[in-house]
Amino acid sequence: MAEDRSSLSGVSDAEAKEFHALFVSSFVAFTVVAALAHVLVWMWRPWIPGPKGWALLDSAHTVITQLIG
Amino acid sequence: MYKIWLLFDPRRALVALSAFLFVLALIIHFICLSSDRFNWLEGKPAVRAAAIEMTTSLV
Repeated sequence: MAEDRSSLSGVSDAEAKEFHALFVSSFVAFTVVAALAHVLVWMWRPWIPGPKGWALLDSAHTVITQLIG
Repeated sequence: MYKIWLLFDPRRALVALSAFLFVLALIIHFICLSSDRFNWLEGKPAVRAAAIEMTTSLV
């Protein structure tokens, strides 16, 4: 099979297609895992503070129970 | 889009990308660990700073 090796990387057109399919699926899998991790961390502690800082975002009852108790 | 691999060597691109992502992840994890709010090992209450501020303002 006479493949075209004239590309800069030395990869043929068919090989580039094959590698690209694997690369895209790996990229999607990585992105899904990263997005899931970000959702979990945001549920734990969001990282964008409100206009009055963190206090409003965090559960207000913790402050109240600390004041009462 | 697949023609990008005709320009860039897939092996080098994979090594470079994984090295970059690993270093980036390491940096972000250490930044989070060094912060008060996102240190998941110490596990300080998130409202500590706000509670201290409120109690000191009451006194």
